[in-house]
Amino acid sequence: MTPRAATRHWLTWVIATAGVTAVLLLVRRDLEKTHIALAYLLLVLAGSASAGHRVGLALAAVSFLLFDWGFIPPYNTLAITNPLDWFVLAAFLIVSVVAAELLHRAQREARTAGERESLREANRLKNALLASVSHDLRTPLTTIKALAHDLAGIDDRAMVIEQEADRLNRMVADLLDLTRVQSGTLVSTIEITPVDDLVGAALQRVSGAMPERNVRVELAEGGTLLIGRFDLAASLRILVNLIENAHKYSPAGAPIELLAVRRGAWIELTVGDAGPGVPEAERERIFQAFYRRPDVASDVGGTGLGLAIARGLAEAQGGTLRYLPRAGGGSLFVLSLPAADLPGQYADG
Amino acid sequence: MTTTKPAHLVLVIDDELAIRRVVRNAFQDSARVIEAGTGAAGIDRAAAERPDLIILDLGLADTSGLEVCREIRAWSSVPILVLSARHADAEKVQLLDAGADDYLTKPFSTSELQARARALLRRAATTTGQGEARIVIGDLVLDLTARALTRAGELLHLTPIEWDLLRVLMTHAGRTLTHQLLFREVWADKQFGDAQQYLRVYVAHLRRKIEADSLRPRYIHTEPGVGYRFATAAEFPRPPA
Repeated sequence: MTPRAATRHWLTWVIATAGVTAVLLLVRRDLEKTHIALAYLLLVLAGSASAGHRVGLALAAVSFLLFDWGFIPPYNTLAITNPLDWFVLAAFLIVSVVAAELLHRAQREARTAGERESLREANRLKNALLASVSHDLRTPLTTIKALAHDLAGIDDRAMVIEQEADRLNRMVADLLDLTRVQSGTLVSTIEITPVDDLVGAALQRVSGAMPERNVRVELAEGGTLLIGRFDLAASLRILVNLIENAHKYSPAGAPIELLAVRRGAWIELTVGDAGPGVPEAERERIFQAFYRRPDVASDVGGTGLGLAIARGLAEAQGGTLRYLPRAGGGSLFVLSLPAADLPGQYADG
Repeated sequence: MTTTKPAHLVLVIDDELAIRRVVRNAFQDSARVIEAGTGAAGIDRAAAERPDLIILDLGLADTSGLEVCREIRAWSSVPILVLSARHADAEKVQLLDAGADDYLTKPFSTSELQARARALLRRAATTTGQGEARIVIGDLVLDLTARALTRAGELLHLTPIEWDLLRVLMTHAGRTLTHQLLFREVWADKQFGDAQQYLRVYVAHLRRKIEADSLRPRYIHTEPGVGYRFATAAEFPRPPA
């Protein structure tokens, strides 16, 4: 409440109190003490309901004094002769203060319940929207893709339709994943996982899209099984994204390097390419959602969400994802995930 | 018995007319397709017409595909291929545990659908009994009576857990086995303590023994977030004799 509005509030209730008192004084002769008490109680409740409990409490105190002054004989003094009147006044004060306080509390609870309810409603709407976007967009995309596939033998342009349907699907998937990463619901199962499993699944996943590209893999020296504590599906998504980026940005024929080592408490997976690298000013910005490098054509860059999702996924597993320039030109993306140590009996089957 | 090979009967349960049409088109040369627009109608048709394959959409209007899957699985071992619009791994695990044989995520391509359907039909035709004493897949020969494994004729040594793991995977070749299922089968009669969390580690050791390149596995495939799938014999082209 602004100071001006607060002043106006107080003034309103001062006038209301004066008005009520004046009316009661006019008909004092015909009234009993219960009538007076009820009239003032209504005033306290009205003030408390509309202007807050501080106004309510102040009104209770003022009404108490006015009650005594104007309506408890002897009139027009605060003196009290009949001991029973003490009881009436005390009861009035207690009832009005308690009533004002209860009213205030009930209002506050109703307000927070309302806020909680609308928050829950917003969350429910968001989830429903996500589910329906994912279902309602993918179903027609399936039809478009399938029909385009059927027409591919008849008209070359059908292939473009199928490719574009795939691209649209990737965008939908990226948007959904970004919202899930941001709400922390994408990483579900952090388990003891061998790096072999992760690297193998990643190589399998990318082999279809880039059959000619050589991915040179180097694992820990001595053939030791590297074991981490991470979510396989989420880490796979990161690694596939990094390998696909390396494929997109490096010249044809240059191999992509994938290196996995144990460094202290971390498993470090490094994806290196011999592409142009990332200019110094861009090295943090490439991890921001929707950021697109000005020097890269938009049909190469994709949705601009891949690295933001990747970093979000890495951090959700207690890991990190960072960029380093590669010696001799190109980029290195380093994914660090928590390493795990096995009890002896599991170390060799 | 007629001499001509009868075409397969495929039941598609989907509330979207467009998807039913896509499935119908995909099988127009290879199978007879019947349709159901609701889960309830799907269950009825499955019972009445005994299809060779069911293609089931997870998002039905009247009931969840998961329920339909459980219902059908209660009395039939017909292969069930599930279509899902969501990418949630937890959902896939639920489905496989409910008895689905495979799943496809929308949008899928026609050739993908055909390939998965073919694989399921072929498997249903060949895996008449799991009581075979010898399983041959690629270079691997698993002799269940002699408890021996050879790769290209060479005997491989396995630990007892690796042996059980491989036995379960190979007897279910072609199926994605969830971690829960693998664990139940392998550790059912053992004192296991905290072994479950090391399932992936055992698989990694096993891969290093049976795969030529454990980073490019041809036998044990990882289905991230879901489980493992052992390749079928059909995935290894026989060299011409």
